[in-house]
Amino acid sequence: MGNEFGPFVAFQQARGFIPNLLQAQSLLPRVIEAQTILENAVLREGAISQIQKERILLRIAAHRQDTYCMSAHSRALCSLGVSDNHIDDLLSDYRNAKLSATDLASLQFCLKLARHAPAVNSEDIEALRTCGFIDEAIFESVLVAALAVYRCTLSAGLGPKPDFASKKFASTRDDPGSEAASNGTRPHTHEAVRRKGSYVSAPYLSPKAFTPFAIVEQSHGFIPNFFRAQTLLPDLLEAELEAVGHILLPEDALTRAQKECILLAVSAANLNSYCVAIHCNLLRGLGMPSDEGDQIAVDHHESSLSEADKALLDFAVKLGTRASEFSREDVVNLRRLGFTEERILECEVVTALNNFANTVQMGLGIEPDFAPPAAFQENKMNLVSACETPTKREGDVNLVGSLQNADAELVADAQSGNLKAFEELARRHTQLIYRTLIAILGNSADAQDGLQDTLLSAFKHIREFQGRAKFSTWLVSIARNSALQRLRRRRNTESLDESDNRDDEDFRPRQLRAWQDDPEQCHSKTERRQLVERGILALPAKYRVVVMLRDIEQLSTDDVAHQLGLSVPAVKTRLLRGRLMLREFLSPHLSTITKGAVQ
Amino acid sequence: MITCEEFFAEFADYMENQVSPEVRQELELHLAHCRACHVLYDTARKTVKFVTESDSFELSPTVSDPIIDRVMAKLRTDLS
Repeated sequence: MGNEFGPFVAFQQARGFIPNLLQAQSLLPRVIEAQTILENAVLREGAISQIQKERILLRIAAHRQDTYCMSAHSRALCSLGVSDNHIDDLLSDYRNAKLSATDLASLQFCLKLARHAPAVNSEDIEALRTCGFIDEAIFESVLVAALAVYRCTLSAGLGPKPDFASKKFASTRDDPGSEAASNGTRPHTHEAVRRKGSYVSAPYLSPKAFTPFAIVEQSHGFIPNFFRAQTLLPDLLEAELEAVGHILLPEDALTRAQKECILLAVSAANLNSYCVAIHCNLLRGLGMPSDEGDQIAVDHHESSLSEADKALLDFAVKLGTRASEFSREDVVNLRRLGFTEERILECEVVTALNNFANTVQMGLGIEPDFAPPAAFQENKMNLVSACETPTKREGDVNLVGSLQNADAELVADAQSGNLKAFEELARRHTQLIYRTLIAILGNSADAQDGLQDTLLSAFKHIREFQGRAKFSTWLVSIARNSALQRLRRRRNTESLDESDNRDDEDFRPRQLRAWQDDPEQCHSKTERRQLVERGILALPAKYRVVVMLRDIEQLSTDDVAHQLGLSVPAVKTRLLRGRLMLREFLSPHLSTITKGAVQ
Repeated sequence: MITCEEFFAEFADYMENQVSPEVRQELELHLAHCRACHVLYDTARKTVKFVTESDSFELSPTVSDPIIDRVMAKLRTDLS
């Protein structure tokens, strides 16, 4: 490539050399432009310093054993005036590199994000805030980690020779203990782990005022939350959009659809359900049948893509998720299938961009625009929870599985008069019984009385339990009958029957303002609980019961229907109606106050 | 493209992730273009999340233990 190419001239002037990582992409000058635009924007001095950013890049490169990037960022630190000794310390054991508490916290956060993105949660963000990080600094940290992942993915694909001698990197080893330092020592409350929602503030930008959004709206039909969540630093976002445009829009090498397939398959392999949903949607916009997109998300080998395209996705998934196993062999294989050098290069760049985007999404906790395909959820999301730090809910699932088995033995014992066994069963199911009762009765005092009645009645009739249904279902039916008797004594006319379908059918939701991205974060745990309890108790009983069992007790729709003796369609209708009533109840507390976002 | 009315007819199933790929495609095309329905979907989704993650109506052991103890005491007396 001639020396007049703008980005190369700029590098030559600023640093006196042209990095091999860029030289290796000379076949597609537009992707070099994309990378330099992105790097200039992410790495400039901002809320966190250039030195901090280069440290993060160096550590992530060291973790990935990427000698090219290690050498590049060592040199960059050196030119920023950092001593050789400090760089060596960073490479060998960064925790002994005498970093300030803030620097250490941001470094550990970025390492966790680059290594185990699905495990990042709002508690990590809170920890950064406690160290004094403002939103801009958190945002920049996430983007630096994403850029590190981008560069390392590309470097694994392109295999550039280091720009500088790199003898010292051979002995560097990533310290397996570092993860525990950022992850394991702080006890996780399940509340924090579960709290998702965009982590940093994102002021509303209208497409009229911010031209890049107008362009996205034109090309996508809407503005994905991925970009909406990054408006804190508009110039950075603008650079990112420009870079994305250079990589994804032209069709001189791969087609748009091929690139979207790569983004979908690698996002699915990275267990990123946000990106899976958006790329499924974009593929449909390009004319691909939606079950085909869903199939690529679950397993592209079973899709009806051509063998060549499947191989292209194999290549991308390997580079994107198992870069250390990636080799020249993989490139040769694609050549053999007829892929040109430009297409192979572009596939690598798109994979790197995907990893950048996946990292940004997980790091910022960006909320979905669409639900991901059900098939993907079922197949892959169990893996996500396996990656996450154990949460209460996960524990519950295991517990429920083993409890169901253990219930049978206890029931048999209780049926032969063993009171200890019955007491154990009672303790296990108290919560479910109580929630059923309060849902029907509408107040805690009656529900507590009802709990006592239900337990006494359950023991009295326990020999009648035949084991055909789950024991919990049987208990709920006793609780329901006991509650309905109480209602009748109160001469309450509220009916839970299926026949009572007045006003279920022609219900239409009211139009509301948009809500803020992270409604949870504006309320304490206690406030949230009180708000939900008030909202649910204000619902008519027939909706309250369904919402309670489905959303609070988290039974499946089928189980709810079974337990309440209702048909599945009736449960669905009531659930939707109840949820939408709750939505109206919660809205004044959770809607956005940003004027621009009001519809 | 489908109307808001048609979108709402499938909305309950969409929220529960129980629509066919073809219907899903129609719904998401609509969602991408209709701000009102997108707000409906987004607020409904956030409602479910807010509600499921609230741990509401948890009966603390300080309340439930005495109830169970009372029941067990009564059963013991009845049996003896």
